[in-house]
Amino acid sequence: MKCPPLLLCLGVGRRRFPIWLPLFLLWPLAAAVIIVLAPLVLLAALILWPLGWGKPLLLSGPLFFDVFCALRGLEVNLNVGNRLMLISFK
Amino acid sequence: MSDNQKRILDLLAEKKISVDEAQRLLSLTEPEKDTGAGRPEESAGSGGKPRYFRVQVQPEAGSGKESVNVRIPMALIHAGIKLTSLIPDQASDEVNEALREKGVNFDVRNLKPEDFDELVAALTDLEVDIKGGKEKVHVYVE
Repeated sequence: MKCPPLLLCLGVGRRRFPIWLPLFLLWPLAAAVIIVLAPLVLLAALILWPLGWGKPLLLSGPLFFDVFCALRGLEVNLNVGNRLMLISFK
Repeated sequence: MSDNQKRILDLLAEKKISVDEAQRLLSLTEPEKDTGAGRPEESAGSGGKPRYFRVQVQPEAGSGKESVNVRIPMALIHAGIKLTSLIPDQASDEVNEALREKGVNFDVRNLKPEDFDELVAALTDLEVDIKGGKEKVHVYVE
């Protein structure tokens, strides 16, 4: 089962220790927004279906969720001297 | 001695592969043997599906150049390819036309997620080492 990333580790500049952001705290908020917007998206998809944009609109949600879940494990670490840039999804 | 091992030794004798490459290939044909201090990135080649695409740039000590360490999940690349299905046909035509203008003769509709699995399997033994100037570049999958 796919699981979105739980934590985002950010480190920029001369910080010795990176910041850990708890992404899991955003999940309930995101779920609420999705529930509220779902009827609007369905309505928009029905209206745009003859123009060929209905199917992409309906599929975009699950596909972007797949992309978000696939971010787990992404790590970018740049070091220049004593400055660093770190982005890591756990 | 298996056919694969014999073929590897033949390639080494013909100097078509180096000693390091032969050693690595032989270790892949015998996963039950202890390979000693094997590099972690070889785990993808010993039967496991590669999960990450890695790019490392390591400068020489004291050179002052930046070091880069990037790890990209294969699942992210796979999900990105699936996003191309969102492109409507009209937009696909425009994208293809723009690519052709730049000299890239490629149809974005040919990108299919099922082809990705085949590509990932082919990347299992990918390893690129570039040593030049004051930096070492290492590209591999694990």
